[in-house]
Amino acid sequence: MDILEKLQILSGAARYDASCASSGSRREGPACGTGNTSSSGICHSWADDGRCISLLKILLSNDCIYDCAYCVNRSTNPVERASFTAREVIDLTLDFYRRNYIEGLFLSSAVMQSPDQTMERMVMVAEALRTEEQFGGYIHMKIIPGCSRDLVRKAGLYADRISVNIELPSQASLQRLAPQKHKHAILEPMALIGREIATSLLERKASRRAPRFAPAGQSTQMIIGASPENDFQILRLSQGLYKKMNLKRVYYSAYVPVIADNRLPVLAAPPLLREHRLYQADWLLRFYGFSAEEILSDDAPHLDESFDPKTAWALRHPEFFPVEINRADYATLLRVPGIGVLSAKRIVAARRFSRITPEGLKKIGVVIKRAKYFITCSGRSFENPDQPPALIRQRLLLGESSEAPMSILPKQLVLPGLIA
Amino acid sequence: MNRYLYDGTADGLLSSIAWILEEEPDPEKVTLAKRMDTLFEEGFTISTDATLAESLFFRLKQHAPDAAHTLYSFMLAEKEGMETSLLHYVSLAFKHGDKVKGYLTHPAVRDIVNVAQKAGRELHRMKGLLRFEKLQDGAYLAKMEPDYNIIHPLAYHFSSRLRAQHWFLYDVKRRMAARWNNGTLQFGTIEQFTTPALSEDEKKVQALWQAFFKTIAIPDRKNPRLQKSNMPMKYWKYLVEKQGE
Repeated sequence: MDILEKLQILSGAARYDASCASSGSRREGPACGTGNTSSSGICHSWADDGRCISLLKILLSNDCIYDCAYCVNRSTNPVERASFTAREVIDLTLDFYRRNYIEGLFLSSAVMQSPDQTMERMVMVAEALRTEEQFGGYIHMKIIPGCSRDLVRKAGLYADRISVNIELPSQASLQRLAPQKHKHAILEPMALIGREIATSLLERKASRRAPRFAPAGQSTQMIIGASPENDFQILRLSQGLYKKMNLKRVYYSAYVPVIADNRLPVLAAPPLLREHRLYQADWLLRFYGFSAEEILSDDAPHLDESFDPKTAWALRHPEFFPVEINRADYATLLRVPGIGVLSAKRIVAARRFSRITPEGLKKIGVVIKRAKYFITCSGRSFENPDQPPALIRQRLLLGESSEAPMSILPKQLVLPGLIA
Repeated sequence: MNRYLYDGTADGLLSSIAWILEEEPDPEKVTLAKRMDTLFEEGFTISTDATLAESLFFRLKQHAPDAAHTLYSFMLAEKEGMETSLLHYVSLAFKHGDKVKGYLTHPAVRDIVNVAQKAGRELHRMKGLLRFEKLQDGAYLAKMEPDYNIIHPLAYHFSSRLRAQHWFLYDVKRRMAARWNNGTLQFGTIEQFTTPALSEDEKKVQALWQAFFKTIAIPDRKNPRLQKSNMPMKYWKYLVEKQGE
């Protein structure tokens, strides 16, 4: 099989991994080698599904001994199988990197003979890239659950980011859909990685020569919509991963049906809106100071389809509003629907110079389409402050129905032929 | 209100700003524009002094590194007609330090920051979207047509990234080129550009990249609008993966 065919099979098999981040690591790169990393990460292209491409995302092999129901590479799925040699992966990475196609390598794999054997071959690729080829670009490596601790440690020394996929949000689902995988085999390496990262950070404080361990941290991914967990369960799980395991990112991947299986739900389309809402809620956890319990509860365990989670929270908490733009602290501003991290920072920075007027608010680039129902600006409100939440709800949903005819009218007037 | 003129060069702009900040009691009350040499043009022409320009940038960098970075990005945009705004911005930056970037309610600050942001954004984008082709002699060449004059910072980025390679950057619109070889970076202009022959394996590697680009997208999630908003079509001309579309 030639390299082109292999690449097609093994990148096609890797595309369901959501992560393509190349951020979080900053390396000068070896003097005589190729590559460095920049802490903000760089996107090199955008695929036809609109997702950013920054890493050469491939599997080392798709020849799997496991039979996980949701996975395109499951052993009972009759797809063509292929495996790269280490040399092939190294050459592809370098050829692409030298032409500035990519920021580095994302290497994952199906479980070939055993977790240890698979992980060992993956680590060999990373080791050769770093030591023989003096490659200084970004490397993201998957950890195969069940491999030895030594291999996890070695992977962390060569890779910028490592990740263990949690796959499904609960042990019960894992048992049903991926019977060969076990919760403890996933959580154990995660905890180990967390400890190693912490130790390495401490050592590097003492000496800059101490080796780095996964400087861009660890992430994980779970499939959404293949199993019955509700959003509240998922968010609480993510919250725990961020707090207890110190994860950088949790990725959610809308379940795309690849093969029929009576253990799986039948979906007309992948649950993309649900995935989107989960990411929004995830951002609230990480950057907006919300807890999972504020966003959802046992009585309302699903994210609202029509509203983003912050707007939904605001509509449930009218007592918190209106927020005065000139007085509210940063954390309070962040709770206003439509005001994000950037807008909140701009407001705080602009207040140092003068009071912000409603016009000034627009000038500094704050979009008040949603925010206007929830704020006052120098004591003035944009909307009647006594509207009941039900009415705000309706107006947010319908947009500006009162202004709509105004904007349609002039458009019709200039249409040639219609008036005359 | 005093009106000042300069010769239209970048050095002229910066040195006249330096001069005004030195001589004028209230720089925010004066205007600065490019000299047009028309008959009835009013204003006092400030002569260009490259050392004065350099020292202004250096002092700003010491005083407000973030604002100096904004000034640098703004200059990449080569925008005309915003000299007065730039003068006011620099004056405010010396007064308030780096906090000035938060003063977005001030029109001059907003204008300068906006332009600088656009140039900075294109620079970041180009770091990802630039494509090198391997030539017959083993060197690499990347062509581009950016909106802003970003070849200098872009070349510096690649000089620390692709250190072991011999490469060229070529800005087709401005006819400017950068060359990196054996640890030295040079800039120049190219009057006549002839496309050199590609190395033998180049088309093969490009075919691999095109194949990867196609298969990495999830077919059930096609989203051309998102793709275009992230990667505007004006950049497609030199993208290997977008050839033949």
